[in-house]
Amino acid sequence: MRDLSLLVQMGFGALLALSVYLPLRCGQLSLATPGFYAIGGYVAALLSTRWPALSGGGASYPLTSLALELLLAALVAGAVALVLGRPVLQLRGIYLAIATIALVEILRVLNLNMAWSGGAVGIFGIPQPFDGPAGYALATGVLLALTCWLCSRLEAMRLGRAMSAIREDELAARCMGIPTADVKLIAFVLSAVIAALTGVLAAHFLNTWNARQGSFDASITTLAFVVFGGSRIWLGPVLGGLVITALPELLRPVGDLRLILFGLVILVGPILFPQGVITPEGLARIRAAVRRA
Amino acid sequence: MPAPLLELEAVTCRFGGLLALDQVSLQVEQGEIFGLIGPNGAGKTTLFNLISGVGRPTAGLIRWSGEAIGGLPPDRINRLGIARTFQNLRLFARLSALENVLIGLYQRGHSPLLGALIGGRSFRRHQVELRQQALQLLELVDLSAVAQQPAGSLPYGSQRRLEIARALATGPRLLLLDEPAAGMNPIEKEELSALILGLRARSELTVLVIEHHVPLMMRLCDRLAVLNFGRRLALGTPELVRHDPAVIEAYLGVSS
Ligand SMILES: Nc1ncnc2c1ncn2[C@@H]1O[C@H](COP(=O)(O)OP(=O)(O)OP(=O)(O)O)[C@@H](O)[C@H]1O
Ligand SMILES: [Mg+2]
Repeated sequence: MRDLSLLVQMGFGALLALSVYLPLRCGQLSLATPGFYAIGGYVAALLSTRWPALSGGGASYPLTSLALELLLAALVAGAVALVLGRPVLQLRGIYLAIATIALVEILRVLNLNMAWSGGAVGIFGIPQPFDGPAGYALATGVLLALTCWLCSRLEAMRLGRAMSAIREDELAARCMGIPTADVKLIAFVLSAVIAALTGVLAAHFLNTWNARQGSFDASITTLAFVVFGGSRIWLGPVLGGLVITALPELLRPVGDLRLILFGLVILVGPILFPQGVITPEGLARIRAAVRRA
Repeated sequence: MPAPLLELEAVTCRFGGLLALDQVSLQVEQGEIFGLIGPNGAGKTTLFNLISGVGRPTAGLIRWSGEAIGGLPPDRINRLGIARTFQNLRLFARLSALENVLIGLYQRGHSPLLGALIGGRSFRRHQVELRQQALQLLELVDLSAVAQQPAGSLPYGSQRRLEIARALATGPRLLLLDEPAAGMNPIEKEELSALILGLRARSELTVLVIEHHVPLMMRLCDRLAVLNFGRRLALGTPELVRHDPAVIEAYLGVSS
């Protein structure tokens, strides 16, 4: 049981890492992911605890209601990203990072002080659509697989090529006729939607939701996933999210040393692999080696 | 009489106290190879920036087939049919030569979203076509052999040619070349000049080219304009420009 729960959390980690990866794929360092994750969680928490009709009559929370939450969370987060994206994405580099951190903080403080979000205590007793971690593992696995598939398809599409072009040289990309503002906005909206969907699953899984779920710490952790795994191909953030979420648990046997070891991995990773553990060139080399063997 | 393909009317560009362009007027006709020469800092690249939408004119008008386009964003300008290369090379350095050209083909790369997502047959066929077009463009600039290499790893002259292929991929009617021969050896320069002439002949391309190598420009261009300190000095056939006293003094040097 413990192991399955860890698996679910690793899946959340991978999903959030992909959410950070998508804007980064076109050179945009956005740290807004935890904000949209929080939005998703609140949509789920509010709908499932305050709207009795959704709970149905049975023992467990209906999957159709969960699906409705996912849909609404995606819509809300997507709409917020669409509105905020235009002005925010005009900022570059570290300025964009700071602006998105500010967004996450504003949202956190709002959630902390609003009556409808349960204030500091948050929302309790979020109903369970699955009777154990296995169900969550399956749902998270499906969402992760879909997201990976979407990201892998991007590599083959002109949208993915446009994103690479913007990351390499935004001005040159514009001069090649690419509507860079639109492409960046699409990446930002997709990122928000992925984070919000993850938030919905997480709210049910954790059974409770509060303002701490979307914090500055989370911005940094999710960024670490991508820095560790690599931001040039979708496999990188997936690996980063899985490994770095699992690491504190896996290191539990070593006791107090684990925090130091954890810090070391996050520190040494980028030193040994400045582009992240997984790069397109590295994958090509592995593929060639496998073919030879 | 039809409007000229490109027309600049008293175009001025100011950077703070610096007058980079001072009321420059010129017209480029369809099918011309038009040269722009002038000493360092004369404002040549600035002029390209204004035409391509990278900068906006402080005053004056830029017309494209009669329509005012000054101040439009660069992606819009490119979609209108104006493509450029960069003096300081702005390739997508970590991407392969082929991918650089594929990105240039962005506008032609549109396919229905659903087909693209499921990777359907017509999507795949379209991708194969795009790759073939990209390879043809690489062939044209003699780079097919290095199609898979990262653009940033190519020798200087090859990078210059790759910039041309990438710009051509966007399907322009006007090509702006900013010092395309810089860093090339004499043989490469001759090949480049043949390439430009060939492009014009084959696809009715109009070319506006900046280059310091004056003998090359005299041979290549139908007409030339000379810029000096942001002002247009002379304008006309190479023969005319060569003998213009103001040009001789300002640019071609005391030697002549
Ligand atoms: N963005 C800018 N901000 C401030 N000054 C600029 C800017 N761009 C160009 N300048 C200045 O404008 C003047 C003209 O520069 P420009 O690059 O157009 O010259 P050029 O004719 O292309 O020269 P070169 O032959 O050296 O390439 C120079 O003095 C330059 O320093
Ligand atoms: Mg210049």
